[in-house]
Amino acid sequence: MLSIKNLHASVEDKEILKGINLEIKAGEVHAIMGPNGSGKSTLSQVLAGNEAFEVTEGEVTLNGQNLLELETEERAREGIFLAFQYPVEIPGVSNLQFLRTAVNAMRKHRGEEDMNAAEFMKLAREVCKQVDLDPSFLKRGVNEGFSGGEKKRNEIMQALLLQPKLAILDETDSGLDIDALKVVADGVNALRSPDRAILMVTHYQRLLNHIVPDYVHVLAGGRIIKSGGRELALELEEKGYGWLGIKDEDAADAPAN
Amino acid sequence: MATTDNEVKELIKREYEHGFVTEIEADTFEPGLNEDVIRRLSEVKREPEFMLEWRLKAYRRWLEMDEPDWAHVHFPKVDYNAISYYSAPKKREDMPQSLDEVDPELLRTYEKLGIPLHERAKLAGVAVDAVFDSVSVATTFKEQLAEAGVIFCPISEAVQKYPELVQKYLGSVVPPSDNYFAALNSAVFSDGSFVYIPKGVRCPLELSTYFRINAANTGQFERTLIIADEGSYVSYLEGCTAPMRDENQLHAAVVELVALDDAQIKYSTVQNWYPGDEEGKGGIYNFVTKRGACIGKNSKISWTQVETGSAITWKYPSCVLRGDNSVGEFYSVALTHNYQQADTGTKMIHLGKNTKSTIISKGISAGRSSNAYRGLVKFGPGAEGARNFTQCDSLLIGDRCGAHTFPYIESRNKSAIVEHEATTSKVSDEQLFLCRQRGIDPEQAVSMIVNGFCKEVFKELPMEFAVEAGKLLEVSLEGSVG
Amino acid sequence: MKPAPTLSSAFLHPAGQSLPQPLLALRKQRAAALLGMPLPTRKTENWKYSARHLKLADDMAISLPAEGKTGTSLAVPGYKVVFLNGVMLPEASEFPDLDGITITSFSDLDEQEARELAGRLDHTLTPQSVQLAQLNSARFEDGLLIRLQPDAVLDQPLYIIHEVNADASGSAFPRIFVDAGRHSRLTLVEEFISSGSNGQAQVLVNAVTEFCLDEGAHLTSIRLDMEGDSIQHIGATGVRQQRNSRFESHCVGFGGALRRHDLQVRLEGEGAECKLNGVVVAQGAQHYDNHTNIEHVVGHCNSEETYRNIAADQAHVVFNGRIHIHPDAQKSNAEMNNKNLLLSNGAEIDTKPELEIYADDVKCAHGATIGQLDKTSVFYLVSRGIGRREAHVLLTMAFINELVAQIPVPAVRETAQTRLNQFFEATFQEA
Repeated sequence: MLSIKNLHASVEDKEILKGINLEIKAGEVHAIMGPNGSGKSTLSQVLAGNEAFEVTEGEVTLNGQNLLELETEERAREGIFLAFQYPVEIPGVSNLQFLRTAVNAMRKHRGEEDMNAAEFMKLAREVCKQVDLDPSFLKRGVNEGFSGGEKKRNEIMQALLLQPKLAILDETDSGLDIDALKVVADGVNALRSPDRAILMVTHYQRLLNHIVPDYVHVLAGGRIIKSGGRELALELEEKGYGWLGIKDEDAADAPAN
Repeated sequence: MATTDNEVKELIKREYEHGFVTEIEADTFEPGLNEDVIRRLSEVKREPEFMLEWRLKAYRRWLEMDEPDWAHVHFPKVDYNAISYYSAPKKREDMPQSLDEVDPELLRTYEKLGIPLHERAKLAGVAVDAVFDSVSVATTFKEQLAEAGVIFCPISEAVQKYPELVQKYLGSVVPPSDNYFAALNSAVFSDGSFVYIPKGVRCPLELSTYFRINAANTGQFERTLIIADEGSYVSYLEGCTAPMRDENQLHAAVVELVALDDAQIKYSTVQNWYPGDEEGKGGIYNFVTKRGACIGKNSKISWTQVETGSAITWKYPSCVLRGDNSVGEFYSVALTHNYQQADTGTKMIHLGKNTKSTIISKGISAGRSSNAYRGLVKFGPGAEGARNFTQCDSLLIGDRCGAHTFPYIESRNKSAIVEHEATTSKVSDEQLFLCRQRGIDPEQAVSMIVNGFCKEVFKELPMEFAVEAGKLLEVSLEGSVG
Repeated sequence: MKPAPTLSSAFLHPAGQSLPQPLLALRKQRAAALLGMPLPTRKTENWKYSARHLKLADDMAISLPAEGKTGTSLAVPGYKVVFLNGVMLPEASEFPDLDGITITSFSDLDEQEARELAGRLDHTLTPQSVQLAQLNSARFEDGLLIRLQPDAVLDQPLYIIHEVNADASGSAFPRIFVDAGRHSRLTLVEEFISSGSNGQAQVLVNAVTEFCLDEGAHLTSIRLDMEGDSIQHIGATGVRQQRNSRFESHCVGFGGALRRHDLQVRLEGEGAECKLNGVVVAQGAQHYDNHTNIEHVVGHCNSEETYRNIAADQAHVVFNGRIHIHPDAQKSNAEMNNKNLLLSNGAEIDTKPELEIYADDVKCAHGATIGQLDKTSVFYLVSRGIGRREAHVLLTMAFINELVAQIPVPAVRETAQTRLNQFFEATFQEA
């Protein structure tokens, strides 16, 4: 489904990604782990098309289509979904209005009619329930005054609503307590399906106890330095990034799970 | 993220929708202003003597005054002798008695503007007075209003039919000597709407005036007077458009509102005068004096404005809160783009006890425009227990525009409380990226964010106008993302 | 319309000629430029609320003599420079003897130094917004040049006592210029006091202080405005800041016949920041008008401003704070807050917090309030058994003390506190 070949990207002339290669097939769940500053978030932002990052080399295709040629919103309509690490607030714009606009933009792209308000409302309520968000959140401004956990659940709720082909979860576990983590993980697990791929970006392995990946990749210094199965994550947890010869300044102040 | 900025810029370009010209024969005065012009104007309008005297007095006062220069706007000096002070579609002797007598070309014009006047298609629940250049051409729903005792007619008709009301209230809120443009308007105003809501009557329809400047080289000087008698209620809307012309045109209106005991007036404006082109050529100079007097106790005047048009806007809809417990409100969205300049805001003058006022101002600047909020909140010594809350927010789109806030706050009563807050923000790249990542067009994203920014004001507009205003912002913003 | 009254030419003739030639020439040039200057009226925007308090009679025009005994409030510890009627008194002063710091009276400058200084005076202020304060440059009889070499640090605060003797009518024009080199540190305390009023004498004090902060310099300016009731004071402080410099200002003002102070800060190098605190209390028929202007000329600078005012009796207090973000001054942060309390119905407070913004990626906010004390705070105190009146007094004092507590020099804090306590005693005694 997603094919990344020799991807290089930089921000403000500083190269962050230095040749990423990755193949993800439909139905698979991949986890990308790595210390802070390794380029994990950059990879998710580049895939979603954030123009702050410049792709200097390489190619990315989604089902054979050149992703790098597409605008951010076109990528979204082709099925790329990014759950943001730090979702931004948009005061005055209600979640409901925002999501309906997004859903209808997608439908229009597929040549479908707009979803009517009642139908949409019903759907929105259902997905809210799935991530344990009170439907009153739909009426509030996008992320306005949401707690960290609420923002993360709001992101997963949107993924459930938009039904992407490839969901990229950028540090979706950060800042969540164990109960919230479970709710989010349940939401992500509900996303798993044979025709959908999931790419999880995370620093810690604890999320992977709840969402079991098929493949784990370790990203360091802008390259994938090791790939393996689920057991790689466990090994990493046990031995730390140092085991792979990577310095991880943040490991010391890692929160207890 | 310079690239996104460029996109934002791309997004705010679109033609002015109402820029067409109506081909119609008109009676137009030669350009120029002197006492004879005023006499002729008064004669054409068949005004009683008192009106002519009033106009001449205002004119003489105007001659002694200087054009104000304190506003944060810049424009070449207006040549008041190059303007024609009267232009009206040619027609039979008298005003049209019914819509059947109105020139079909005019009806078509209003239809094109989305204001159908004829019986079949009239806007449900809204009575419309259509003002074309210097005269009122039609008023709908006259009969239904008359049944309720409501007077809604062109002010030139009111001068003849209800001279005692006109004499009592005209200039009582905005005296001719108030300011330069008010004096000019008092001397030469041609038409406008007159509304009187009798005691205890809740006006059964929304009242609306639609102003259209059509003729070239004319000024529009309309005058609106609304009187809400004890315990009455009225909601009034005004809309404005003009053709696209390279020359600047002057619009200097005066609006006076009077609310007696327990009366309420809600006045909403959607101003979309031609703003000039992308280079800042042409457009309307909108120099307007709007003021309401809450002279009765427990009365309330509420101004809501959505200002997207005009090359220059100079406008401060105000409330004089004289009656005890009276309430003044000002909700404003002002959007400037290209080379537009707006200096707008309000004055809340608290004189009575326990008077309350609220000011919510949302300024959006794009392109190379300049957008200023200027306001005065004043508590007189007698304003025991008075309160004001002011919120002024500016949104900047692009780095070549200006957003300014000039609030004056004056208090002479120790029990009065005022709270003023102002913030500035931009449409952030992060917000745009989030919307786009969810598949939303950048244009739609900007308009959604801007609409969100204006929400508190839009909710004050009557329903159908809120939708209209939202769309208008979309149109005005096109090409501004950047 | 009647032509606006102009500044009487009597005000343009300095007495002393003991300054070095370049400064005499500068003075002459400034005087010529002010000839025929219209005096502000209530139609003059930046004097709108204060023009009616301005009363410049011709007999106030002469410079007060630089002699006589100084007041008693000079028991200041440490470094100090004493000015009497705008002229420095070396015998009453105590200069620091430290490497890298020179403090020189204008009249002691050599020709070369004086020429350099003349080229730098007045460049921190915008002439059209301090029209009357410009008079100082046409009239100063003396002045003080404080120079800090790079990395120089003054180990204690430097006090400048500006005393004016109000026994006879006349004017005083104190002038200070501070040139703070890279990474230098200085805390400067300016105290404005007066002595010996005969009640009839009309006195104008026209003081100007300028600060130039080079890269990384840290400067704290504390200003105590405590002159007698009859004094009309028109003063200005101008500040220019280069890269990564920090300027902190604490102004404490007590009202008088006319008090007008303009504080203008230009942030000209990235990373510069300023913090401006101000407190004003006025009673009786006193007046006080603070105008501040912060220019964010370049991006990545921070400004923070907090002013609090109290007007009692028939007093009149004005605050006008302007923040101006220049085009391309992206990533500017500016915050302004102004709170006011009106303690009597005869008093008046006028405030105008202004923003002028020409760059989009900025964080700017201002807030202003006039009005009563926080009701929940009053309730909290009352619910603990404190009388309602006492609760009001406590909270009113706290309103001001919050800012006074931030003054970094304990001795100045005490001086200010003593005066403030007198104000509160007088204000709250009869009610």
